[in-house]
Amino acid sequence: MRILPKEDLLVRMQRDLARSLAGDHASIKWAMVIDLAKCVGCHACTVACVAENKLPPGVVYRPVTEEEIGTYPNVRRRFVPRPCLQCQNPPCVKVCPVTATYKDAQGITVMDYDRCIGCRYCLVACPYAARTSDFGEWYTKGTPEEPGKIVGRNACADSYERQPAMEYGKEWPERGRSSPVGNARKCHFCKHRLAEGMLPACVTTCIGRATFFGNRNDPESLISELLADPRVFVLKPELTTKPAVYYLK
Amino acid sequence: MKYKYFIPLLILALAGLAVGAFGLVDRLQHGLNPTALGSYIPWGLWVAFYLLFLGLSAGAFLVTIMTYVLGMKQFEHIGPLSAFVVLVALICEVQFILLDLGQWHRALYQFFLTPSFTSLLTWMFILFNAMLVIYALKTFFLIRGDLVRWSKDPEKGGLRGLYGLLAFGKTEYTSTDREKDMHKVHILAKISLPVGLIFYGTNGAFFAVLLSRPVWNSAMTPLLFVVAALLSGGALIAFLTYIFRQKDPLNPDGLCYEDRICLDLGKVILFLLVVFLALEGMQFFVGYQTATIAVVTSLDLIVKGPHWWVFWIVHILIGSLIPMLLLIFRAGDVKSVALACFLIFITFAAVRYNFVIPDLAVYKLEGLEATFAHPRLRTDYVPNLNEWLVSLWIISTGLVVMLLGTRFLPIVTENGGTDHA
Repeated sequence: MRILPKEDLLVRMQRDLARSLAGDHASIKWAMVIDLAKCVGCHACTVACVAENKLPPGVVYRPVTEEEIGTYPNVRRRFVPRPCLQCQNPPCVKVCPVTATYKDAQGITVMDYDRCIGCRYCLVACPYAARTSDFGEWYTKGTPEEPGKIVGRNACADSYERQPAMEYGKEWPERGRSSPVGNARKCHFCKHRLAEGMLPACVTTCIGRATFFGNRNDPESLISELLADPRVFVLKPELTTKPAVYYLK
Repeated sequence: MKYKYFIPLLILALAGLAVGAFGLVDRLQHGLNPTALGSYIPWGLWVAFYLLFLGLSAGAFLVTIMTYVLGMKQFEHIGPLSAFVVLVALICEVQFILLDLGQWHRALYQFFLTPSFTSLLTWMFILFNAMLVIYALKTFFLIRGDLVRWSKDPEKGGLRGLYGLLAFGKTEYTSTDREKDMHKVHILAKISLPVGLIFYGTNGAFFAVLLSRPVWNSAMTPLLFVVAALLSGGALIAFLTYIFRQKDPLNPDGLCYEDRICLDLGKVILFLLVVFLALEGMQFFVGYQTATIAVVTSLDLIVKGPHWWVFWIVHILIGSLIPMLLLIFRAGDVKSVALACFLIFITFAAVRYNFVIPDLAVYKLEGLEATFAHPRLRTDYVPNLNEWLVSLWIISTGLVVMLLGTRFLPIVTENGGTDHA
């Protein structure tokens, strides 16, 4: 019995994901499509990403920029979510002096936090400002503290901050001076979730179903269908970085 | 340098170390957290200072070019001083860049374990170490004879042991040893020519290869870096030659040997200043003529942004026009030439600052800094107290090494350097 008149796109993407993961992993090339006509600028993806990756203040993987287009009275707003574009010709990889950032077999530009020296050359090289540096900030920095009372750092807020990030399938130690503090950080398409057969957090939380994800080498996938759409464009194509994140006008 | 200046300068340097230590301790304890750096302007004051000291280290390179390429043998006499200045500048450089790293300790081994040769930073690391080795050896061979002599000089008191240690226990120094050492110095100088040229050019290429940086991304940037390095480094050497001059006892009121070197250097500095300003002028002309928004925005930030005075007053007026007038109209007056050179190298930090910061602040995605508000996600940057304190500490270390080296090592000799010819 069909409950919904139409299958939710998330269900379709989840099925596509399972099919890709069940097949030859070497043939997978992950891609993302963001339909700007559907994005309502709710920033749910930004917040989901922050929560999923336990991002500290000042570190953001997927901000949503807002643009005002046209002149009065013909104006409209456009929201542009900007994850790491996972360029196929990534300027950030070439400049890393210690090979701490590289393309994995499935097309994701990943970071090796234990190798990164924190020179921030990759931040400077990225044309999309998709990388941020972890300067060791705390949400609860400077907040009051009262032993035995539910205020300040030792209460709920601090316990959130002490949750380890699970990026790259590893439990990172409590924030202090060790990595990823002092490192460059970036979106990795929630690689740790993909390994468990789950879609990236920004995809599952998109209330407008504006973000699509899948294997662009799978012709049956939703992402492949969307990539054939004539509305497809990429950011700053003149730089020939060949992003794997596409937008629909 | 007169003795009366040594103690006050040493006290100044030690005070700088003491005050700067507050910033250094904070930096070492809390990483980059105490700095005003952010993700959209990830490099700031320390990188600007790194570039300044990079340029200052080019003085000896300039001396080498003039001596061995242009055949101006009189500059051979300031070899020990210029080689030592390179070492001091490199010591400051490495501190600035290490403290700018988020995980600085990894730089000590990760470059050896997992180097990437597609990155110009790796090549900078290699060339930096090559320069360090070349100039350490060059300084050693230039002063070894004096070290041996001083290690046996009763007047040197308790320092004799140190000189013996620095001479690696050598107790005799014959004219054959001297010939051999000078031969080694000549070979090192010739090696340093291509290495230095590639090193300074690579530092420019480090910025030039970034496609998304409108002003940096130019084939002219490496050339500009080489000229800038020669200009600022040459100016420093000319100024130091004047500071460490020894009056000729036979003609105390006339020009001494170092004065004449300083005047000769002044002519070279004037030429380099004109070339540098011409290149910089071309950069602005081409940038404004192409009228690309990102390029124009970056150039506008330099000439009419909130820090316009850094460009117009510090760089153009104090660091270029006044020195140029002095070098043209007071070319025979050694004090004026030394003053001009002092103004050039001391204001060169402004050139470096204007090179690093404005280009980082442009060509982002529209609305990026407005969407996720945080002090680390802004496109404006002003160095904070911590960055200045750490800079003070590093510069003070350089000053201490410079003062102690020139006072207690045979860097500047009493006979006008002719011992090193």
